[in-house]
Amino acid sequence: MSAPGTDEIVVEHLTKQYKKLRAVDDLSFKVRSGRVTGFLGPNGAGKTTTLRMLLGLVTPTAGTATFGSRKYTDLSDPVREVGAVLEASSAHRGRTGRNHLRMICRAAGLPDTRSDEVLEMVGLTPAANRKFKGYSLGMRQRLGIAAAMLGDPKVLILDEPANGLDPEGIRWMRDLLKALASQGRTVLVSSHLLGEMQLLADDVVIVAAGKLIRQGPVDEVLGDLSGGVQVRVRTPQAEELTAALSELNATVTPGADGSLVVHGVEAAAIGHAAFTARVELHELSTERGDLEQVFLQLTAGKAGIR
Amino acid sequence: MSLVNAELFKVRTTSLWWIMAIVLVPLYAASVLLNWANSNISVPDDAAVSDTQTAQLEASLEPINVATNLYTSGQYMGVLIVLLLSAIIVTSEFFHLTATTTFLTTPRRESVILAKFGAAIVIGLIVWLFTTVLNLIVVPPIMSALDLSSQLGEPAVWRAIGLNALAFVLWAILGVGAGVLIRSQIAATLVLAITYVVGTSAIGLVFFLLSEYVAEWINNLQVLVPTSASQLMISGTDLPGTPPRWVGAVVLIGYAAVTGILGTWLTKRRDIS
Repeated sequence: MSAPGTDEIVVEHLTKQYKKLRAVDDLSFKVRSGRVTGFLGPNGAGKTTTLRMLLGLVTPTAGTATFGSRKYTDLSDPVREVGAVLEASSAHRGRTGRNHLRMICRAAGLPDTRSDEVLEMVGLTPAANRKFKGYSLGMRQRLGIAAAMLGDPKVLILDEPANGLDPEGIRWMRDLLKALASQGRTVLVSSHLLGEMQLLADDVVIVAAGKLIRQGPVDEVLGDLSGGVQVRVRTPQAEELTAALSELNATVTPGADGSLVVHGVEAAAIGHAAFTARVELHELSTERGDLEQVFLQLTAGKAGIR
Repeated sequence: MSLVNAELFKVRTTSLWWIMAIVLVPLYAASVLLNWANSNISVPDDAAVSDTQTAQLEASLEPINVATNLYTSGQYMGVLIVLLLSAIIVTSEFFHLTATTTFLTTPRRESVILAKFGAAIVIGLIVWLFTTVLNLIVVPPIMSALDLSSQLGEPAVWRAIGLNALAFVLWAILGVGAGVLIRSQIAATLVLAITYVVGTSAIGLVFFLLSEYVAEWINNLQVLVPTSASQLMISGTDLPGTPPRWVGAVVLIGYAAVTGILGTWLTKRRDIS
């Protein structure tokens, strides 16, 4: 196996012990490049603490969090290698958006013109000279992303970026992050909004109470945990259909308001079986496993507030 | 250097600097007038005044000491402004939650703190230059009103002006160190302003009482109070009954070094959240 590049995030046995609280508990996972990885967990699961340890802001009690094999604090040029959006309200209220970005440019040795380029990229050019206190939450998120993109980094880390965004903003963010990942970048996005992750992420890392619950490609995690695809059928002739489907080795369970939930066969096969058995169908729909259900199932009993 | 530049850019892009400038101008004017008034008094011929005090007063009314006092007008208030600005350079990072951005951009925290020291020193020197240029314009007419020559030919005057610059620099360092130690913006500004203004006279009173009723030598320890130390540093000649000027410089350098080193060490250790 070749040595990992700096664009791969490697978390190994990461632990953070506060006075009484073990915020992160022996957490290990990897984040690959060219994909969007969702970092999921209920509030208080230790997501933010993990990201802050990864970025050298918080010192781990034990374990490591690295880019390839290097710590953030050992990167020779962090702004050009890793971009991070940690909290939406982290700029001086009295400073303009453009000056916020220029301030970073100066500290990182980037030309001032980069700030105008990233403002254009996130669509904030009209508000460039407005003070930060006049920004909406959505604009603040955009400014955060602009700041992260200043150095055109290979790795992007975002903590709850969808917070405060309207549906249009969320779609914009989703498209942007997918596009960035498709350029080969590593994108790690933390969230407790599961539906959004289902649309955005290729891989997921699920944590609760500071511990790893599951990691892997979204489809796999969903497939394994929800028993795969299910089909909802509605028919006035439930008994005949159940008999017909049992010949196909399908399991049929009664669902809500008189519908049937079928596992083990696809919708087309059910439709065909119904047709041959001369059974009338009123509804035939495929339901994918819902990340939200999986998530609740996985984190059940691990309360968010500890 | 780019980090110092970035730190100065941060100060320049908020309204703080011109608020401080607006505050500084009237305070400077007041201190010139006060120093002028102090130069007009005569030595009281009174038995209630001790020999040392009479000697001190006589010495301070020598033309050269009147001159050094006037040419360094604005030190007291100027230093206060520099002290507060230097502390705010640090505390505003936590007050406005910009510390995360700052330390993400520059993960080597000691570089950030060093840059803040650098920026504070630049600001201190700007305020020093501002007050010094004004003094060089305003003071010669005052000197002639006092029937004294401008004294600008005296090396002691220029030495006092130079040491005044050193005082501004040292207080700037002290301010940054204090800002790291007291991270809350409100607490830091209040504590610094109150100890600087009230604390100096309160401690002065304590020293006065101790030297009156315990032992006179205790009064010499007053130089350990930072404001007394910087006052001492800029006096024109060695005043009778006070330690030599260099002691004042050593004391201030000591404070600046301790707060600076302690502050850097703390910043490196702390979690930023």
